[in-house]
Amino acid sequence: MYRIAIEERSNWQQLAKEVGFQFHTIDGDKYWDESACYRFTMDQIENHIEDPSAELEQMCFEVVDRVVQDEQLLKKFAIPETYHDYVRQSWLNREKNLYGRMDFSYDGTGPAKLLEYNADTPTSLYESAAFQWVWLEQAMEQGLIPPDCDQYNAIHEHLVDAFDNMNFTGTLHMAACQGSLEDEGTVLYMEECATQAHVQTHFIHMEEIGIDAQGRLTDLQDNVITDLFKLYPWEWMMRDEFGEAMPESGVTFIEPAWKTILSNKAILPVLWDMFEGHPNLLPSYFMEEAHKLDSNAYVKKPIYSREGAGVSIIKNGKTIEEVKGPYGEEGHIVQALHPLPTFDGNHTVIGSWLVASQPCGMGIREDVSAITKDTSRFVPHVIRD
Amino acid sequence: MKRSKSLKLALMGATIFTMTACDQPDETASIFESVDECAKFEGQDLDQCRQGWEKAEQEHIRTAPKYTSIADCQADFGPEQCEQAPQQTTSGGSVFMPMMMGYMMGSMLSNGTRSNVATQPLYRTKDDPGTFRNADNQKVSTKTGVQTVSRTVTQSPTTKTSTIRRGGFGKTAMRSSGFRSFGG
Repeated sequence: MYRIAIEERSNWQQLAKEVGFQFHTIDGDKYWDESACYRFTMDQIENHIEDPSAELEQMCFEVVDRVVQDEQLLKKFAIPETYHDYVRQSWLNREKNLYGRMDFSYDGTGPAKLLEYNADTPTSLYESAAFQWVWLEQAMEQGLIPPDCDQYNAIHEHLVDAFDNMNFTGTLHMAACQGSLEDEGTVLYMEECATQAHVQTHFIHMEEIGIDAQGRLTDLQDNVITDLFKLYPWEWMMRDEFGEAMPESGVTFIEPAWKTILSNKAILPVLWDMFEGHPNLLPSYFMEEAHKLDSNAYVKKPIYSREGAGVSIIKNGKTIEEVKGPYGEEGHIVQALHPLPTFDGNHTVIGSWLVASQPCGMGIREDVSAITKDTSRFVPHVIRD
Repeated sequence: MKRSKSLKLALMGATIFTMTACDQPDETASIFESVDECAKFEGQDLDQCRQGWEKAEQEHIRTAPKYTSIADCQADFGPEQCEQAPQQTTSGGSVFMPMMMGYMMGSMLSNGTRSNVATQPLYRTKDDPGTFRNADNQKVSTKTGVQTVSRTVTQSPTTKTSTIRRGGFGKTAMRSSGFRSFGG
């Protein structure tokens, strides 16, 4: 695994504009960064990222299996009691899931360590699946990288297949919140994949969703919503006014409700409890058992944190790095510190994508600080032995 | 190879990504204005014409666009073209819908199976009376008879209802403002 400085495509900003990739620059700073790329060997990809992702997914299923049967754990996951049955049923009914992203600390040697699992509303999908793919093809064509490069990125194909396998009989509504270009871009890309699987789609903002007298969800044309892809976290839906309507609404949600367990940082201590010592796991505990952590350097994470918000790194009792955020009232977990590797002064985190629970691609984010967050730059990668 | 073999993004306006043309395949469907017209058509069976009509009428009640004012319905479908729906609003008010102007169903294919078309009602709008549309306002055809239609119109139309409230999702996100995305 190397970080290699390379020339940018001269036309990439024009291209980004044409394909609706509007969030490539954030507040004047680069988000998409093709002035470098990461190079991996096939062995690293297959044995250190892909296979462990598949194994971890199976372990995660065992966690869900345990948590849905355990009221105490459901409470520790801060899932409101009124939804315990609903979440349990969605798992027992084996409701299909679409996608997720596991984040790893990995430096090219040794086992990749799972930092967290964004299993409900993972971001950076479009950059990983599409823009990175086009970059590879064009960079090879333009001679910016050798012509025999490959990339760990069959995400697009897997998404189209997954939509095809979901066997929708009617319209699939697809929702994002108002006011986020990034989320709307991601949902537009998802619509693209669904359309290619011949699924009829209809976009709606979360805020525009209505309810009828029978408690069914509706769109702006008063169509009853039967299937809803939502780029909006389960834990927020459960706390919204319409949340209580969901169990009786008859809607099939993507992701399904059981994903609220996997996307929760509380899976980390449960994984450790069930698979202590597994090479891809870091020691992790609920806050009240933090003393069991055999390490004076650890990371404290709110169980509902996203994009690094509210995460702090603590060494010898002192907070040495921290990202402010609105999370934390639902509780925290602690995880042994496994610092992100640095390449040319950048801290690098690996995002391993799973579609329909199959590992199928990767996206890399880097940051000058030790905690990656929503502004961390996306850097493409290649496979070349 | 560890990457997708091709990637095309039509909706996002990226023709340069297009590797292969992808046409929505067609489906064979029977479209008629009445059971009589259907039964007279070569190769159609009276019982199936009647069963199709009855099924389409049921679907009509479920899937027809719904209005709480007859004037709004007539504005879209024309005078004398709307009827009262069996549904009521929560406060007991009347609900209106356009009249069913025809129906579509699957056709017997040469291999002895029926084409995969959800039996459904068809409508004609005031502004485009020459075209049959389905309950989701998609153009289906301008003529009756056995014909090919786009597969996009062969699915079962959505259920129409009256919304009583909106805005019940999204409030929790607002408390967490400051993010450019709500994912993680």
